[in-house]
Amino acid sequence: MSKDRQRSHKAQMVIERMGKKLNRQIVGSLAGCVHCGMCTDSCHYVLANPDDPTYAPAYKADQIRKLFKRHYDWTGRVLPGWVNARSVYTDDDLENLKDTVFGKCTNCRRCTLNCPMGVDYATFNRMARGLLVSVGVMPEGVAVVSKDQWEIGNQMGVLKEDYLDTLDWMSEELQDELDDPAAVIPIDLEDADVVYSINPREAKYDPRTISDAAKIFHVAGEKWTMPSDGWDMTNFGLFSGDDDLGGAVARKLFEKVGELRGKKLVISECGHGYRSTRCEGQNWAQMDVDFTMESSVNTMLRYIKEGRIKVDKSRNSDPVTFHDSCNNARSCGLTEEPRELLRLVCEDFREMYPNRAENYCCTGGGGAMSMSEYTPRRLKSGSVKAEQLKSTGADVVVTSCHNCVDGLQDVIRHYELDMQVTQLVNLVANALVIEKPTPAEQVATITDEVAAAPTPVEAGSLAGYTILVTDDEPDFVTFASAILEDNGARVLQAFSGEEAVALARREKPDLLTLDLGMPGTSGSDVFEKLRTDPELRDLPVFIITGQPELRRLIYQGEQRSPEGYLDKPITEESLLMNVRKVLSVPH
Amino acid sequence: MPESTKIHDSKITVDKGDITQYQVQAFVFYAQHDLQLGTGFGTAVSQRGGPKIQEELDPLAPVETTAVVISGAGALHADHILHAVGPRFQEEDMAGKLRATVLNCLREADALGVTSLALPAMGAGFYGVPLPMCATVTLTAVRDYLCQQTGLESVVLCVLDSREYEVFAKQLTSLADAKATA
Repeated sequence: MSKDRQRSHKAQMVIERMGKKLNRQIVGSLAGCVHCGMCTDSCHYVLANPDDPTYAPAYKADQIRKLFKRHYDWTGRVLPGWVNARSVYTDDDLENLKDTVFGKCTNCRRCTLNCPMGVDYATFNRMARGLLVSVGVMPEGVAVVSKDQWEIGNQMGVLKEDYLDTLDWMSEELQDELDDPAAVIPIDLEDADVVYSINPREAKYDPRTISDAAKIFHVAGEKWTMPSDGWDMTNFGLFSGDDDLGGAVARKLFEKVGELRGKKLVISECGHGYRSTRCEGQNWAQMDVDFTMESSVNTMLRYIKEGRIKVDKSRNSDPVTFHDSCNNARSCGLTEEPRELLRLVCEDFREMYPNRAENYCCTGGGGAMSMSEYTPRRLKSGSVKAEQLKSTGADVVVTSCHNCVDGLQDVIRHYELDMQVTQLVNLVANALVIEKPTPAEQVATITDEVAAAPTPVEAGSLAGYTILVTDDEPDFVTFASAILEDNGARVLQAFSGEEAVALARREKPDLLTLDLGMPGTSGSDVFEKLRTDPELRDLPVFIITGQPELRRLIYQGEQRSPEGYLDKPITEESLLMNVRKVLSVPH
Repeated sequence: MPESTKIHDSKITVDKGDITQYQVQAFVFYAQHDLQLGTGFGTAVSQRGGPKIQEELDPLAPVETTAVVISGAGALHADHILHAVGPRFQEEDMAGKLRATVLNCLREADALGVTSLALPAMGAGFYGVPLPMCATVTLTAVRDYLCQQTGLESVVLCVLDSREYEVFAKQLTSLADAKATA
C-alpha cells in the first residue's frame, strides 16, 4: 500500500507546508478543473509541441492537484483512485515536479484567462514553486538570483558602489549631451515628487535606459530622485514563489521611499517589477504606504499630455509593433497607456495579433531567462511569438518589460527575424524636443570650415578599431557593446562559438572578446581554432568569463596565451582599461 | 539605532549593515558545503575581497554541516572570514544544527584571538531558517557562550534590513530582561 511507503524528509516537508499555503483562491482553482481542455490551445508551449500532452495546462496542474487531493481534500481520502489523488515520496518525485512547474510553464496566465471555471493555474504553480524552493529543489539559476536578491538587495548582485558609479557615469553623459551642468541624477533627495526605481539589469547591462529616463525627468522639470539603496523594483519572489522574499524586497523599496518622504514611486518599464511592486508588494510586505505608485509609461504619457515635454514622432519613423508583457497586461491591466504613448512618439505603429491580455508570452516570463537548462524548450515554444512578430511586418518591437526585451531578443535571434527590440523610454527620449540647443545642434550652426575640420581623436578612443564581442548571454553582449561603441569602436556581435569563428574569418576584427562557458562550441574550442588557423592565429583574444575554473583549458594548452583575461562581472573601467592595453591605445 | 546588552565583560549588539564591510576583526559567512563563495554575500566577498579568498578555500572543501573553516579576508576590512556551513532548506533538526554552528563560530573566533566578531542572521533568508528561530537560537547560543571564559569582547549580529532587525532586537531585549530578573 502506498501509505506505508517511506517518504523522504523533503517530500514530507513539501506536503506539510502545502497546507499552510492553501487559501480560498488556490483551493478553488485546485478543486475547480473539469478537464474540458479549453486551456490547451491557450498555452504557447502546447502550440509549439502539439504532440506532447505533458505541456497541457490541465495536465501540468494535475501534477500539483493530485497532492492536494491526496492530502487536503476529502474526495482524495475517500476515493483516491477516482479523483487521481497521489502523493510524492522521493526526492526524484520532487525533481520531476520541478521539471513541470519551472520548466514547462512561464506563469503567463494565458490559460487562466481562457478557463471557463476560473482556474488560476499560474497561482498554484507559483505555490508549488515556493514549496520546492523551501526544501532547496530549484533550478540553479533560481538559486543564484534569489540569493543575490536576498543578500545584496537586488537580483543581479550589483554592489552599491557599482550602482552609484553607474549613476555617476550616466549623470556625466547627460550633462555632456544636454550641455547643462544641472542635468544630473539626484540621489537620495528628500521630499521629491518622484522616486524612480529600476530593474538591476539597467544598472548592469543597459544603463542607457537610465540616462534616457533621466533626460525625460530633467526636461520635464521634475523634482525627482533615485535611491542609493532599496532601488530594485523587481522581485524574484514572484517567480520563485517565495513569499518571504517577495515581502522583504517590497518592504525595502517601500521603506526607502518613506525614508525619503517621496510622494510618488515611479516604476521603470518592467512587467514583473510593476506587478510585484504595485499589485502584490503591499500584501507580501504586509504594510501600508503613504505614497502613490505608477509605471513610468504613465509618467511619460502624463508629461506629454500636460505639455511638460514635447515630442517629435518623425524621429521614430521605423514601423514598430508592441509586445504586451503578461504581467503588465494580463495581471495588471496596463494595456492602453503604452499604445497611447506609442502613437504620440512613433509614426508607424502596427498592432500585433492577438494582443493586450490575449498576447502570447515572450518565452522569458516566470524567471525562465535564468533557467538555462530549459532554454531549448523555451526557444521551441518561441515559434508562436516568432510568427506573431513576423506577421506585423514591423522593424522594431517595443515592450515595457526588461524580461521581455531579453526573451524577444532570444526569439528574434533563434528564428532569424530582422527586428530590433526597444522600450518606450528609449523612443520617448529619442523623440524629445529640447528647446535649448544641444551641443550637436550648436555644432551644426558653426561655419562649414570648422565643421569640416577633422575631429581630433580623443585619448583612449577606440575609433578605427573593430571588436568582436562573443558571449551567449545577450545582456552581456549589449553591455560590452554599448561601452565599446560609446568609446568609438565598431562592434560586431557573436552569440555562439561557431558564429564567432565565422565572423572573425569574414570581418578580420582587431580584437575578439571570448566567453568560455558557451553551449555548443565552447570558448576553449574557439580559442584553439583561432590559434591554429593560419588566417586567424594573430588575432588578439581577450577572455571574459564567469567560469574561472575553465581558465586552465586556455592557459594549460600549447597555444599562445590570450592577450587579455577578465573574470565576470566586469565594470566599464576594467573592460576599457584592458581593451586599450591589448590594442596599445594610449590613455 | 543599534541595540546592545552586556554579558559579563562582553557586549552583544544588533545592528543593520553590510557585514562584508563591518568594522570587526572577523565576520561569519554562511557557506556552502563545497565552499564556493557563489552569489549573494559571496559576490560581495569575492568582488571586494579579491580572488585569494576563494583560492584559500578550495583545498578545504567539502565540509559538513555545522563545521567552520577560516580564510583571510583579502582586501576587506576584517582580518578573517569564518565560513560556517549551517543548516538549510527545512532540513531535520535545524535549531540544533544552527546552535552547533554558532557555537563553532564563537570557538573558532576565540581560537584565532579575535576580540570582535560579526554574525549575519545565520540561515535566514535564502536558506529558509525561520527568522524567529534564527534570532532565538543565535542570540541564546551567543549569550551562553559569552557566559564562559572568552576573549571575545564584542559580538555583533549584523542584519540586513529592518525586517531582520526588529526580530533580533526584540529577542535581544528579552534576553536582557531575562538576565535582569535572573
